[in-house]
Amino acid sequence: MKNRQPLFHVVKREGASPARQLLAYVAAVALALAVGAVLLAVQGVEPVTFYRQLITMGIPGSRYPWRAVENFIKLFVPLLIVSMALSLAFKMRFWNIGGEGQFIMGAFWAGFAAMKLGESLPRPAMVLVMALCGALGGGLYGVFVAALKVKWGTNETLLTLMLNYIALYFLQYFAETKTDWNFFLDPGSARPKFAKFPASAQMITIPIGPFNLNLSLLIAAALCVLLYIYLNYTKRGYEIAVVGDSPNTARYAGMKVGKIVIRTIFLSAALIGLAGAFQVSSAGILSASVTNDVGWTGIVVAWLAKLNTAGIVVASLLITVLQFGCQTASTTYPSIDANFANLLQGVILFIVLAADFFTRFQLVRTRKEAAK
Amino acid sequence: MKKFLALALAAAMSLSLVACGGGNTSSPAASSKPAASSGSSDASTPAPAGNGDFKVGAIYITSQNDVAGYTFQHHNGITTAMKDLGMDPATQLLIVDNVAEDYDAVCSAIDTLANQGANVIFGISFGYIDAMNDKAGEYTDICFSHGTGYMANDTNFNNYFGRIYQARYLAGIAAGLKSKELGNNNIGYVAAYNTEYAETCSGINGFALGAQSANPDATVYVQKINTWGDENLERQAAQALIDTYNCGVISQHCDSAQPQLVAQENGAFGCGYNSDMTEQAPNAHLTAAIWHWNVYYQTAIEAAIACNGDAAKFVENMGGNAYYAGLAEGFVDASPVNEKVAAPNTAAVMDAVRELIKSGEWDVFTGVKLSYNISDDGKVEIIKTDADLVDADLNVIVAAGGPSVDDGVIKGSMDYNVAGVQEG
Repeated sequence: MKNRQPLFHVVKREGASPARQLLAYVAAVALALAVGAVLLAVQGVEPVTFYRQLITMGIPGSRYPWRAVENFIKLFVPLLIVSMALSLAFKMRFWNIGGEGQFIMGAFWAGFAAMKLGESLPRPAMVLVMALCGALGGGLYGVFVAALKVKWGTNETLLTLMLNYIALYFLQYFAETKTDWNFFLDPGSARPKFAKFPASAQMITIPIGPFNLNLSLLIAAALCVLLYIYLNYTKRGYEIAVVGDSPNTARYAGMKVGKIVIRTIFLSAALIGLAGAFQVSSAGILSASVTNDVGWTGIVVAWLAKLNTAGIVVASLLITVLQFGCQTASTTYPSIDANFANLLQGVILFIVLAADFFTRFQLVRTRKEAAK
Repeated sequence: MKKFLALALAAAMSLSLVACGGGNTSSPAASSKPAASSGSSDASTPAPAGNGDFKVGAIYITSQNDVAGYTFQHHNGITTAMKDLGMDPATQLLIVDNVAEDYDAVCSAIDTLANQGANVIFGISFGYIDAMNDKAGEYTDICFSHGTGYMANDTNFNNYFGRIYQARYLAGIAAGLKSKELGNNNIGYVAAYNTEYAETCSGINGFALGAQSANPDATVYVQKINTWGDENLERQAAQALIDTYNCGVISQHCDSAQPQLVAQENGAFGCGYNSDMTEQAPNAHLTAAIWHWNVYYQTAIEAAIACNGDAAKFVENMGGNAYYAGLAEGFVDASPVNEKVAAPNTAAVMDAVRELIKSGEWDVFTGVKLSYNISDDGKVEIIKTDADLVDADLNVIVAAGGPSVDDGVIKGSMDYNVAGVQEG
């Protein structure tokens, strides 16, 4: 039997300079936008106008520009925190696909606190309690999987993935079950719907003229700095990197791998839960689609940024511009819907990742003689 | 789709991290297949300039490019109404689509529409309710109109829905006559929900009373699917009704035409919902309860234009803050009877009852029952009999001869089935 060889094989590229890498990214985005332009033109939409509206997000010249900025921040903050948190786990090669579930649990327990204690606590205390409940709810939901992995070597990818759906249906159960004990729902509505939180459970905002700066943005910025220091300048951060590279090396160096895994995953999931708590306290109400897919998008952001903290800030900013800008730009074109916006995002991500792959690897033609 | 992309990326990246040079790893295939958006840009001919700079805003639960279903019906209604008013949807309609029932998402969509200069904003899904209520208070210069909701104010915010139970009564007549002709009193009903929502159980009750008016022995078996639309579940539920109860006619309150297709495959018959499903199941479908959303949207857009910039007059122009119209206004109706499969005289009986309801003389949930005398030459005489309206537990809802239950009950608090309905 003749062993058939593939026509090409993948070889690592030597000496890819950062400048070259950057150039490849820029070229990839340009190519993706060109593909998008063709798709837009086919649907009778002028690409240049569409892209201008996408990048400016319809803010210049609009009647209430500050509202658009506020909404942008509400999309950006959860994505930033979740991407950061996921990168923490990914650095340790712990494949936490459970961002959605941990986010929902954070939102749920923050909502629980708001409905139970909202009437009795003053606003700063209430917001703090919600943040703690959210972090704890998300953190415990994540650490459960870490503990199983440490104890019995279970597959964390599968477990975190499946727990997403459990969390989702858990929340949906409370969203749709109208009974006397379900204090989450609005008693004034014949159809089940979540009740709004008491006023004290509303996220603190700092008014700057007509614009209200959401406190969660400042906290997220501070978290970025802290996480950067934690990962790069502390012993614990170093341990994460070592465990990620080789658990055996870590063990040989006398590190308690199990403890490190549990501690890190708790931190990762707690941050995601915190993002969930911020989300619901900014909205002032729960919802069954509270995550806005950040648990998934965060994975994309973390990898696009190669788990680099500064890169995550840039990538999540760009992805949010893409999402929010697409929605704003497509408003004026009846033929362009959110599905198209998703498609455009998919095209851009796909081409950027392909560029990333080809700057690090190359395809080499398999030589006939060598194949024998 | 994003989920698959994320997973594929994670898989691809973890592969490429582990992959060391020289190995003949095939390039990771992150082939997430994006749903091809059907590029059916409706080639709307430029409409005659009328109300030129008036902008209509809409918030949809799915996409305006859908080819069937709830959003499709509303989008169709809005564009039809705009064209009839001489407006051009291509330039005067602003849409934010795929907006989940999430407070922040809806607020953001409203802000976007307000920023782009919308003069009236329609939200079509129930869960938009709190956001619409709050934003109506914030943007007092914009008219707000919320489908299926119950909140409103006295100035710029109303809600709208229709007496679809009247259309279902008419469809019930067609089903009842067919069941009588078949000699099979069992009628099936695939329902999204039943007594959990007034919207669903009032529809089931209206349909059952219509069926009983034509066939007093008819029983309506309800099979719930616990979601507003899922083609597989709709199909299974219809098949279960046929297999378990030997139902000869299948009605439905769910998004797709699957129950009608199942009826056709089993040699049974059916009544559709939302659109005339004779197209999908020509050998089974009798008639469907349908909405003419353009009737409402035209009224509302006219009222908003008549505000002349003072949105506070919107509710006054609409004649109240809760629009609830029915057969009389042409907002709901039964689609044309499929004569090929319907029992004889079906159309004649439905026409007679349609006129009776339109006249305002009688309504479905009253203490008066209808029955019909059909002469040999097809003339229909409606016989009214005073009788208690009773629920499935035989509690009296309306005493014999009594007036209709309150609109608030039909829209909001109805949570029972009438006698003759059985949840399977």
